[in-house]
Amino acid sequence: MKQRLNLSVLMRSKVTWAVVAEVLILIVCLIVRPDFFSISYQPSTGMLYGNLIDIVNRSSEITIIAMGMTLVIALGGTDLSVGALVAVAGAIALKFLRWDVTVYNTPGDYTVYPFFLVLVVPLLVCIVMGLFNGFLIARWDMQPIIATLILMVCGRGIAQILTNGKQFTTGYSPFRVIGQGSFLFLPMPIIITAVVVILVSLFVRKTAFGTFVESVGINRKASRLSGINAQLIIFIVFALTGFLSGISGLIYSSRIMSNDSNNAGLNFEMDAILAVVIGGTSMTGGKFSLLGTVLGSIIIRTIVTLVYYFGIASEATMAFKAVIIAVVIVLQSEPVRNYFSKRAASRAKLANGGVK
Amino acid sequence: MPDNNILEMRQIEIQFPGVKALDKVDFSLRAGEIHSLLGENGAGKSTLIKCLTGVHHKDGGTIILNGREIQPQSPQNAIELGISTVYQEVNLCPNLTVAENIFVGRQPMKFGQIDWRTINSRARELMRRFHLDIDVSRPLSYYSTAVQQMVSIARAVDIQAKILILDEPTSSLDDNEVKLLFQVMRDLRAEGMGIIFITHFLDQVYAVSDRLTILRNGHLVGTYNIEDISKVELVTQMVGKDMDTIFNLKRVDVDKDAPYVLTASHIGIPGQVEDISINLRKGELMGFAGLLGSGRTETAEMLFGATKTANGEIELNGKKTEIRKPYDALMHGMAFCPEDRKVDGIIGDLSIRENIALAVQARRGFMHPLSRKEQNDLADKYIKALGIATPDAEKKIGELSGGNQQKVILARWMATDPNVLILDEPTRGIDIGAKAEIQRLMLEMCEKGVSVIFISSELDEIIRCSNRIVVMRDREKVAETDGANCTQEKILAIIAEGAQGAGGTKS
Repeated sequence: MKQRLNLSVLMRSKVTWAVVAEVLILIVCLIVRPDFFSISYQPSTGMLYGNLIDIVNRSSEITIIAMGMTLVIALGGTDLSVGALVAVAGAIALKFLRWDVTVYNTPGDYTVYPFFLVLVVPLLVCIVMGLFNGFLIARWDMQPIIATLILMVCGRGIAQILTNGKQFTTGYSPFRVIGQGSFLFLPMPIIITAVVVILVSLFVRKTAFGTFVESVGINRKASRLSGINAQLIIFIVFALTGFLSGISGLIYSSRIMSNDSNNAGLNFEMDAILAVVIGGTSMTGGKFSLLGTVLGSIIIRTIVTLVYYFGIASEATMAFKAVIIAVVIVLQSEPVRNYFSKRAASRAKLANGGVK
Repeated sequence: MPDNNILEMRQIEIQFPGVKALDKVDFSLRAGEIHSLLGENGAGKSTLIKCLTGVHHKDGGTIILNGREIQPQSPQNAIELGISTVYQEVNLCPNLTVAENIFVGRQPMKFGQIDWRTINSRARELMRRFHLDIDVSRPLSYYSTAVQQMVSIARAVDIQAKILILDEPTSSLDDNEVKLLFQVMRDLRAEGMGIIFITHFLDQVYAVSDRLTILRNGHLVGTYNIEDISKVELVTQMVGKDMDTIFNLKRVDVDKDAPYVLTASHIGIPGQVEDISINLRKGELMGFAGLLGSGRTETAEMLFGATKTANGEIELNGKKTEIRKPYDALMHGMAFCPEDRKVDGIIGDLSIRENIALAVQARRGFMHPLSRKEQNDLADKYIKALGIATPDAEKKIGELSGGNQQKVILARWMATDPNVLILDEPTRGIDIGAKAEIQRLMLEMCEKGVSVIFISSELDEIIRCSNRIVVMRDREKVAETDGANCTQEKILAIIAEGAQGAGGTKS
């Protein structure tokens, strides 16, 4: 009986429906391509290959950003600048890797500046930009959507200025490892994502940080009056999101071994927000689910893969993606969840018969 | 009495997850009667009403309206059946005109167009029936809450309602407006309408109703003719305890030589509150009396650092201390239950457990979390100690009744083990039993040596509990008197006249 009642609770959870959606999409994929789930080992690269691995691999950039976005949305805000920060991180990294076209005009396996600067400086700059967002929001009480719009708009401009509007390429192999290397038979981005997800989850749930974020997101004034330093929480969340955007930017630019101020991280903010929402966190702030967000991000990537597999004309892919996302969101809507929850509850009652 | 019941609810049962909200409750309403429905918060009044208006669906029992059994499915359905409800908050569109509000959704048409002339003239006629001669073509927001309330009643009545439910209609009205409302209620009664009246104000119950029904914990206590039950009996029945035990609260004596815990000298914010000086002894209860807007809340917020103090100094335990934000106050052992608990107090979507642990956790910082067990222990301890009515600590605080929410906020601060506790209107809007409970807790804290600042609009509470009373008026402290030999009249005189009156010693 207890199990059945739990089923009713389960039906109410948005995460459950995200799982259902993912399974449905995968089933469709399987019908279109019976070998969809096959995974093979490539001895030359020491990596596993397959659609499932590719989906998770390609969702890395969004998943990493969406970890921060989940906290931002739990605070009741949105961060529109993440995509631009991806471009900034890539621009800085490539600027260090390949400084001056007149000196090093042939691509090769070298870096101009020490490698740790290539990694640390972009991340630091992204943290500072995140703090700038946090400053506008916590200190000046700006609406997050407006405050982050500033960097969304000018971030790509900054990336252009940093690289003089040029697109650099590099062949430095340690940098290639970030986006294209492997570890434990898995593509490196998956490993990085797993580490990020675990560390963020630990930070949020093993300390009281998550509770404070929820508290501030639900009622900032009451949280402050309870002694919570709401400004500090907001600063940390936006700085963290900036930092994670930086990591995402490094992965992205390592995949293409280049910077692309116009296209790197394009629409990432939208995908990240979508991942959070599909993951069951409400846009009004409050309770959040990091695991749900990971799932949301994977769902988005699965949809994209499905689009490829259907061989849909590229002009129609966006529309197709939109239709599937609409279906997912409807599955998660209040009436649908309530309907199934009530059905599960009444079935539990029936199963109980007259016994109370 | 002839049995001309317009409405009969028999053996109504409603089951909520974990609790029986209504257990075999009978209720009847006659045509041409004003029937008050009484009970503490959470007694089941609103559940009963919502069952009648189709918001909740009953799990047992029957509802008979005019001799026919009905099953209200939705509020819309209830209105069609002739049951109209006017809620505490006005549910109208402030940007539409009075006339539009009355007829919206059922505008009379003429040649396929809305017949404005008829709408306006009928609305004017209707409002005149309510003794209001107002311009019905002005937007609703132009008028006072009282008039808006009348408009919602007018709308309800014009839908040819047979039963009118008034849910706390008077809580935002002044005396004259209440009188006007009562006049309207009596007129409607004379026309044969049955009116169900819900209020927290017992005087109003006696002023206007014919019969009353008392609920307690989802059970029916009884239905009485108004002349058959005294006010004391009524309260006793509502609370289920004797009045004496409730109001047998006495102020706690303070040692005259007890050290000063909190001293504020000449603190103020230009333009808001000016030049406030108080000194609070250990274990003392200081009452803050004064009208709304007299600067009581502003003073409390300054002391706690919720707003930044511009002038003056604050000393804690004899040491000059700067309190710039609530966190500073928390670290210095201060606690503050804000006035508007829904807006400034509760974190609605978090559980009781999380709400209770919040301030303790804030003091420790988020890097030093309380373990789940410590949180559970804390929550269990205070749920028991304060008698918070909840099935378990994981319930969202937003789902509790007002009195219980207030207790959780109090628990949040008691858990920090404060030296100074500031309570801003802790008893507003909660029922009489919970009120007494909160006062008892406050006095217990004093006995343990906690100094309390108690802000309240209800003078009898202040006089009953306080060792000293600070009277505020026009954003200034106008007097400070001893609590022991103070009367309501004295305080009222001070508020009315300023410091010159009635034995106030100006500090």
